[in-house]
Amino acid sequence: MNYPEQAPRWRRYLRMIRPNVLADVDDELRFHFESRIEELVASGKTPRDAREIAVAEFGDVQEVQRGLVSIDRRVAARRGRVESLRDLGSDVRYAIRSLGHSKSVALAILATLGLGVGANAAMFTLLETIYVRPPAGVAAPSEIRRVWRTVRFREGSQYWPGYSYVQFSAVTNALGDRATTATYAPPGKAKLGTGESTAQVQLSDASTGYFSLLGVRAALGRLYSADEDRLDNPAPVAVLSYSYWERAYGGKASALGSTIVVAAQKYTVVGVAQKGFTGIDLDAADIWVPLGSRARGRRGALSWWKSNSVNGFGILVRPAPGVDIRELEQRTTTALRRPEAAYGSSDSTTVARFGSIIAANGPGESSQEQRIAIRLAGVAMIVLLIACANVVNLLLARAVRRRREIAVRLALGISRSRLLRLLLVESALLSLAAATVALAIAYGGGVVLRKLLLPDVHWARSPIDGNVVLVCLGVAAASGLVAGLIPALQAAGPELTDALKTGSGGGVVRTSRLRITMVIAQAALSVVLLVGATLFVRSLANVRQVDIGFDAHRILTTSVGYDGPSASRDSTIPQRIAVLAQEIRALPGVDAAALASMEPMAGLSFVDFVVDEASTAPAHWDPVVTGISPNYFAATGLHIVRGRGLAPVNGRAPAEVVVNETMAKGQWPNSEAIGRCMRFSDPTAPCYRVVGVVEDSRVGQVLEAPQPQYYLPLGNIPDSAASFLRGYYVVARIDSQHVADITSATRALVHRDFPGGVPDISQLSQHIEPQYRPWKLGASLFTVFGVLALVVALIGIYSTVSYGVNQRLHEFGIRIALGAQLRDVLSLVIGEGMRTLAVGAFCGVLLSLAAGRFVASLLFGISPGDPITIAAVVATLLAVGAFAAFVPARRAARVDPVSALRAD
Amino acid sequence: MTTTQLDLLQGTLDVLVLRALSWGPMHGYAVARFIHQGSDGTFTVIDGALYTSLHRMEERGWLESEWGLSEKGKRAKFYRLTMPGRRALRTETTSWNDYVAAVARVLTATPELAT
Repeated sequence: MNYPEQAPRWRRYLRMIRPNVLADVDDELRFHFESRIEELVASGKTPRDAREIAVAEFGDVQEVQRGLVSIDRRVAARRGRVESLRDLGSDVRYAIRSLGHSKSVALAILATLGLGVGANAAMFTLLETIYVRPPAGVAAPSEIRRVWRTVRFREGSQYWPGYSYVQFSAVTNALGDRATTATYAPPGKAKLGTGESTAQVQLSDASTGYFSLLGVRAALGRLYSADEDRLDNPAPVAVLSYSYWERAYGGKASALGSTIVVAAQKYTVVGVAQKGFTGIDLDAADIWVPLGSRARGRRGALSWWKSNSVNGFGILVRPAPGVDIRELEQRTTTALRRPEAAYGSSDSTTVARFGSIIAANGPGESSQEQRIAIRLAGVAMIVLLIACANVVNLLLARAVRRRREIAVRLALGISRSRLLRLLLVESALLSLAAATVALAIAYGGGVVLRKLLLPDVHWARSPIDGNVVLVCLGVAAASGLVAGLIPALQAAGPELTDALKTGSGGGVVRTSRLRITMVIAQAALSVVLLVGATLFVRSLANVRQVDIGFDAHRILTTSVGYDGPSASRDSTIPQRIAVLAQEIRALPGVDAAALASMEPMAGLSFVDFVVDEASTAPAHWDPVVTGISPNYFAATGLHIVRGRGLAPVNGRAPAEVVVNETMAKGQWPNSEAIGRCMRFSDPTAPCYRVVGVVEDSRVGQVLEAPQPQYYLPLGNIPDSAASFLRGYYVVARIDSQHVADITSATRALVHRDFPGGVPDISQLSQHIEPQYRPWKLGASLFTVFGVLALVVALIGIYSTVSYGVNQRLHEFGIRIALGAQLRDVLSLVIGEGMRTLAVGAFCGVLLSLAAGRFVASLLFGISPGDPITIAAVVATLLAVGAFAAFVPARRAARVDPVSALRAD
Repeated sequence: MTTTQLDLLQGTLDVLVLRALSWGPMHGYAVARFIHQGSDGTFTVIDGALYTSLHRMEERGWLESEWGLSEKGKRAKFYRLTMPGRRALRTETTSWNDYVAAVARVLTATPELAT
């Protein structure tokens, strides 16, 4: 027996090399032939004969060889799979160990990436909810259409989703059996309970057809039936949403049959809608009641379903199979153009369009918040880019520090692909951890974003779900791998001997160029975000400075509400409010208290009137009228520009009117307004003489074109307006320091004077504050992201300069030894950092100018290319950047030449 | 060459190879020589078939291979039995012995048959 007693020792390192099947088979067979021939020669054959014999004994060499190779390939493939799994385990252990060695880098990466990914996940979840996700619980939502139509507003034509019941009937008739239609009133806040209760629910009026069109069933009890849904006398029944039922009734069946008071009306709960369904709007509905329930008990000449002034209804259409949408749109357009379907005067130009069930995807204008949300998504992506650049920088620095280690591993026979994988495993681990951080940020950020962007929306779902988890994981993995791949590729490809010989020195030039590029990218993107932030901050300041006519902090309005609809039309109320006004006037800190038919900036009233002159008023001329007591201008702080205010008399006032500047100019463009006549309802009516012109004030929005307005004396209201121009509101001019005291004193007065009445007291500034919200929002969110970007970019500058200094300690040592002064070294190092920054800032300015048009529509009183803003941002970046470079530069300047030279 | 040539069935060759390797790890050439010597030249194995058998059994998990140095210091591929390989050897040997016994019974029970 001539075979070895013991197998040679396992050469583990050989397995590192990917098995080369062809060569192995070749080697094995060559060994066989060599051995056989050797033996035959030893037994006396000639080499030539020996070769022939060996081949003859073997059979078809090529055929066998092919067979062996194909078998071995299969074996190798299987073994590869098993081994790569085993290796992965050791890679993971190795990665964790090596990350543990550089905790600060790992933490910095986690924070940066987590923040970047989390911000994106939160933003995109929000956008998905607004624009992509169809409402839950609806059968085949993609088939359902919302009906939009063009409406002419003062600012121009716009798609609008609201209709009167008359219009809904017209559309239903026009579509016939080509489609199913339904109407509903989108959910709105309604008071829950009685008295001074502040609880609110989301109430939606819905026809029976609404539920059947959407394919919604009752989870408990029943939905209301068609005869409960009668227009003239809707039954007082209510259906709860499943989530409201769980929240308010603990999911107990005893909710059925109970009574609930909403918007001052009693309803019996008859059912709970199927789980998940909260209506079809972003704003979730808690309670549905039959159409017209809220109009029940209201007096009025015209039934609500015949009136065009009850018109907040949405129209839903589910087309029958195979029906052309265009044809339905055409029919709807025709129906809406008929005089009987239009408001007062017929709108012969309206165009109907069918849109998605997701309202934000419809043709209507998106709100400023939605537009900000889309821009913020862009901002979040920029933050992610900055984060990635930063992670690349950090990993790169690490990889460079590990060059020697990597070179040694390569020399010991680790394959490059294995090395690459090792580095990728590291970034994958980081990504995974970052995804976890990102999830937390996405959750918190999602909650905050919803609150900030759409605070009035009553959300039905958690801000985080399976999709968000996937998005976080996906984005984190993608960005982590991309960021990890660049340094990994750099590290895996060093010239071996080079790296071994020079240690950290080899390949520095190429690597630091990449690092500098990353810093430039970060600086450029930060400039974009900072410019955006500054633009929004200045827009906010500009909006704040808009003169609305009123001193909003000094105006406190009081009115009295009642739970029952009938009590609110009590004819004695205006008199009693007048008494209340005098009492409020007597309170300390109150300078004036006037009466008005409506709250400033919170309502619009129109009365038909004629003037004696030929009308030259522009189109859509609808002056807004307010009934006031003579001291109203003193109370609101509106200045009389010409003439005088209304005469202060007791009892019946003279027939006088005060107009604002816009009205004076528009109604009587060629002559003085004072002294002209306004006659109400017909040309023979008595003359209300214009006695004064008051300055313009806003009627509803802080940012609106000046509206024509006029003021009539509450002591002498023309008959045609007498029913609604009454003194329902007390408008008091107060010392804004004492708002709280005055408010509570006023509340006490209301309780004393109006038993059963509910006081409604508010400062005008509170009322209009929400209008500043979009600007505040843009300013705050852009600032947060901008500062974040700046900080990340500065860390990048600092670490790059600092790294460069460490690399060149030797050089600095020589320079200092040769006589370089502190200042020389400082300016050399800082200068290099600043050059990088300057390039970044320049690119950033170009980017900002290009990106400007995306935000232009959201700004106020400032253009996106504002030079002062850009200059300020660039100056800030450079100043802070210089500081970031100064710290490591000082270290360079303090190098001890002797130790630096000796070190290498 | 005057020795009888027997065409060995694949399964038979496998048993012989497994048997050879049951003595310890060896390279392909050593296996060939073991079988040749063990049969006393009664039959020769086509070497190509032998190597195919080795590789196939490695794929099946009966054998493991590794590179090592031959007795003459040359790089050679060594095979050794795995546990499944040992089990296979046991069952294959038993069934081969049964087969041989059966054939022998048939051969001895019919003396009138001409050979």
